Amino acid sequence: MVGKAKKTRSKKRKPAGRKAPARKKPGLIRRLFRILMLLVGLAIGLSVPWAIWLDIQIRDEFEGRVWDVPSRVYARPLSLYTGKAITKDALLIELDAAGYRKKQTASEPGSYAYSGERFDIHRRGFTFEDGAEKAIRFRLQMRGGVVVALNDMDNSGDPGLVRLDSAEIASIYPLHDEDRTLVALKEVPELLVTGLQAVEDRQFKHHHGIAPRSIARAFLANLKARRAVQGGSTLTQQLVKNYFLSSERTLARKANEAIMAVLLELHYDKAQILEAYINEVFLGQQGKHAIHGFGRASEFYFDRSLQDLEPQQIALLIGMVRGASLYNPRRNPQRALERRNQVLDIFGTTGLMSDAEIKTARERPLGVTEKPRSGSSRYPAFVDFVRRQLRRDYQASDLRSEGLKIFTTLAPFEQEYAQQAVTKGLDDLQSRGLPADLQSALVMSDVASGEVRALVGDRVAGLNHFNRALDARRQIGSVVKPLVYLSALEHVDDYTLITPVKDEPVSLRQPDGSLWSPANYDHKSHGVLPLMDALVQSYNQATVQVGLNVGVASLIRKIKQLGVVAEVPAVPATLLGAVELTPVEVAQIYQSLAAGGYSVPLRSVTAVLTPQGEILGRYPLRLMPLKNRDAVALLNFALTQVVDKGTAKQLHGLLGKNTLIAGKTGTTNERRDSWFVGYTRDRVAVSWVGLDDNRPAGVTGSNAAMRVWAGLFRQLPLEAVDLRMPDGANFVWVNKRERALTDPSCPGAELIPFIEGSEPKASTGCLQKLDDKNRKSLWRKLFERKD
Amino acid sequence: MNAKIRLAGILILTLLAACSSQPPIPIEDHEVYKRVRDPASEESAGVQVYSLQNPAVKQLTAQAREAELAGDLGQAGTYIERALRIEPRDPQLLQHMAEIKLQERDYQQALNFAVRSYDIGPRVGEICSRNWRTISVAKEYLQDASGARDAEKRAGQCMNTRPKGL
Repeated sequence: MVGKAKKTRSKKRKPAGRKAPARKKPGLIRRLFRILMLLVGLAIGLSVPWAIWLDIQIRDEFEGRVWDVPSRVYARPLSLYTGKAITKDALLIELDAAGYRKKQTASEPGSYAYSGERFDIHRRGFTFEDGAEKAIRFRLQMRGGVVVALNDMDNSGDPGLVRLDSAEIASIYPLHDEDRTLVALKEVPELLVTGLQAVEDRQFKHHHGIAPRSIARAFLANLKARRAVQGGSTLTQQLVKNYFLSSERTLARKANEAIMAVLLELHYDKAQILEAYINEVFLGQQGKHAIHGFGRASEFYFDRSLQDLEPQQIALLIGMVRGASLYNPRRNPQRALERRNQVLDIFGTTGLMSDAEIKTARERPLGVTEKPRSGSSRYPAFVDFVRRQLRRDYQASDLRSEGLKIFTTLAPFEQEYAQQAVTKGLDDLQSRGLPADLQSALVMSDVASGEVRALVGDRVAGLNHFNRALDARRQIGSVVKPLVYLSALEHVDDYTLITPVKDEPVSLRQPDGSLWSPANYDHKSHGVLPLMDALVQSYNQATVQVGLNVGVASLIRKIKQLGVVAEVPAVPATLLGAVELTPVEVAQIYQSLAAGGYSVPLRSVTAVLTPQGEILGRYPLRLMPLKNRDAVALLNFALTQVVDKGTAKQLHGLLGKNTLIAGKTGTTNERRDSWFVGYTRDRVAVSWVGLDDNRPAGVTGSNAAMRVWAGLFRQLPLEAVDLRMPDGANFVWVNKRERALTDPSCPGAELIPFIEGSEPKASTGCLQKLDDKNRKSLWRKLFERKD
Repeated sequence: MNAKIRLAGILILTLLAACSSQPPIPIEDHEVYKRVRDPASEESAGVQVYSLQNPAVKQLTAQAREAELAGDLGQAGTYIERALRIEPRDPQLLQHMAEIKLQERDYQQALNFAVRSYDIGPRVGEICSRNWRTISVAKEYLQDASGARDAEKRAGQCMNTRPKGL
C-alpha cells in the first residue's frame, strides 16, 4: 500500500512542478511556490489515503451488506385431504393468511374461487421443509366442515394430499431495518434488466462508473424543461448513493460518490454491479422497515414474485426508482400511473416493447394490492416465542442477515380464533362488570406432538409490549391440584381414585412462623369422601391432607419432571398453587398429561432452511414417556369428571356440545387470577385472565378463563378425550362410597379405572345377591342337565 | 407385501450400488428386517390388525417407505411425522417411526415410539410383535439385557390372543 501511494505522488508532482516558473521577485515567488508545494503535497497526502479509505468503505459495503437478508418465518402448511375436518370459515382464514386472492376463476398461482362449499385453489409452487412442490390447481368440495372430495384440475384424479404453501407470518430483520428478498440476476426478468438501463443509465454497459456525457445531457435537458426531468447519475453512482443513504446533497458528497463509483467499477464487473443494484435500490417504506430491491418491492406492491410480474408492473417499479415516496402507488396512485406510462413510453422508444404492447400495457390498472401482505405484526406473541426458541441454536446476527427460512407450527386459523376468543371474551367479561383493564393469555398446542398451534399474549391483536403467555409469572392456584393427586395415585398401594380422604380444617406452621389454615371455596368442610371427588370439586382441605401425606417434595419433583424449570417453593401452600408459573409452563405440564404421559417439549419450530432450501436444522418429534403412565390415565379420567360434574360443569353449556373433555379450573387468593386448562383428544389449551398489576380482579376459573377457553374451542373440531387405559390399568364397575366391586345394574354403580391389583376386593351386597342368583341358576342348569 | 417391498429394496439398492463405490448392506441383512419385520410377519401368518388409514396417510407412508429403501432415513422420518400430524394416534405410524429410529441408531426414541404404539395399538397380532421386537432390540443396545429378554418374551405372546373379529 505504501508503494502504491508513493507511485501516485511522484506522478502528480510533475504538473505541480511545471506550474512554478520564476519570473520576477524570486524570493516571493519561491516562497509562494513553497506554499503551493506544501498545499499540493498536503492535498495529495490527504487525498490518497482518502481514496483508499473510500475504497475500503465501498468494498465493505458491496461485499458485506448486499447479502443482509431478513429471515422469513412461515406458518405450518395446511394439509388438505379427503376426510379432513375444516370449516369453510377456517379455510378462508388460511387462504387469506397465505396471501391468496379471491378471483372469478383460480387462474393464476396464489388465487382461488369458491361457490357454496366448493373451492378451486391454484396453489403456488413452494419449497416446503421437506422439498419443493410445483404449483397445482385443485378443486375441493366440503360438506358440513369436512373435505369430501379433492380433485387435481389439470390431471384429473384425487391428488391424495395437497398442502397449501405456508403463510409467511413474519420476517426477522437486520438491525438496520432493511427488508429485502434477494434475487439473482439470472432470475430477473429481461425487461427489468434492459428497461432499467433504458430509463436510468443507457451508457451502463460502456462507462467506468461515471458518464460525463450523460451528466451534460441531463443538465441541458433540465435547463430546457426548467425542472429536473433527467438525472445524470449512472446506476453505479446510484448504487453507491443507496449504500450511504443520506439526504445531504453537497458537492463533496457528489464527489465522493463519483470516486466510489469509479472504484466499484474497477473491482467488480457489470453483472455484479447490476445485481447489487437490483437488490439494493430503495423502493418503499413499511413502518420502520425500508423496502430494498426489486424482489421485495414486487412482493410488497403486487404480492407476486419478481418473475411473475407483467410489463406494466415492471415499468411501475422502474419508475419508482426516481422517487419511491413520490410515486408511491398506494398513496399517490395518479402520479404513479403517469410515471409508469412515462416509463412504458421509454420502453417503446427504445424498442423494448412494440407499440401494440405499450398500448395494452398503458390501459392496465396499477394492479397493486390494497395492503401489503405483512406478517411482521400479525402474530407478534407467537413470533416472539419462535425467536426465543431459536436463540438457543442460532446467533441473532444469523437470523437477521442470512435469509433463513424458518418453518413453524403456527396454525393461522387456530391462532385467529384464539385471538378472537381472548379479545371478545374479555370484552364480554368487561360488559359483565369485570375491570376494563383485564388482560389474558392463551396457549394451545397439539396434544401428541407438542407443536404450538396458537399463542396469544395480549387482549389486543397485534400488540406485544408484554407477552403474557411467556412472561406473566402468576400463581396457578388449583391448576396445580391434579399434580398433587397424580403424585398420590403413583403410590398404588396407598391410593386409588376411590380411596377415602378427609376434607376437614387443617392448620400448619409456615416457614416464617405464621399459621396457615386454608379454607374451601364454599367455606365448608365436606368430611370423608373418595379421592376423585375431592379433585372433581377442587376441595382445598382434602388436597392439603393428600399432599402432606405424599409430601410437598414429591409434588415439586412432579412439577420439574413435567418440564418446568422455574423455582418452586417447598412450602405447604404450594399444594394449593402458591407457585408462580407462566401460561406456557402450565401448557407444558398439561401437554404431558393430555398425551397420556408422553411428554414432548412444546415446539414452535420444525425446521430451519437456508435460502437455497437446504436443511440447516430440524426439530423432529421426540417422545419422553413418563414412568407412571397408568396413574396419568387414572388422573385423565378424573379430569373428565371435573368437566362432567365438577367445578367446570358449565363448560358443556358454553361449548354447546357434550363431547368428553378433561379440564381443571384455577382461582387464586382474592380472585386475582383465573385459569383454565382443558384438553380434547387432539388439542390442549391453557387460558389465563387477570390484571397486570396483580390487583384483585373479581375473576374465578370458571367465570373468566373457562369462558375464553370455550370461546376458542367452540370454533374447533372437538374429538372426545381417549380414555383407553394403558397396559396395566382397567375400568371396573364399583360402588365408590362402599369401595366395593359391583354390577352395572346395581345402584351407585360407576365405571372407574384402577391400576391392576388395586381394585377393591369386597363386593357390594347387590353384587353378592346377583352372584348367588347366577350361581344358583348355574347349579340348576347343571343339575337339570344331569337329571 | 413384505417380500415385494424387499424385492424392490434389493433392486433399488443394487442400482444404487452400481453407481457408488461403497456397496450398501443388502436389505435382508438390515436388523430391522431380520429382527423385527420378518419374524413378526412370519409369526402372524397374515393376521394383521390395521386401523383404516386415510388416503393422505397412505400416501405419506408409501413415500416414507420409498425414502427408507433409498437409505434416506431423515426424509422417511419427515414423511411419517407429517402423517402423524394427520393421524397422531395411528399405531402403525408410531411403529413405523420406531423402526426408522432403530435404523438411525436412535435406540431411546425407537423404544419410546414402540412403547407408545403398543399403548394405543391393538396389543395383539403382527403390530404387537413388531412393537415388542423393536423394544427388545432397542433395550439390548441400551444395555438392558434383562429388559430385552422380557420384551422378546412379550413378542412371543402377541399371537396367543387372536384379535377379535378374525
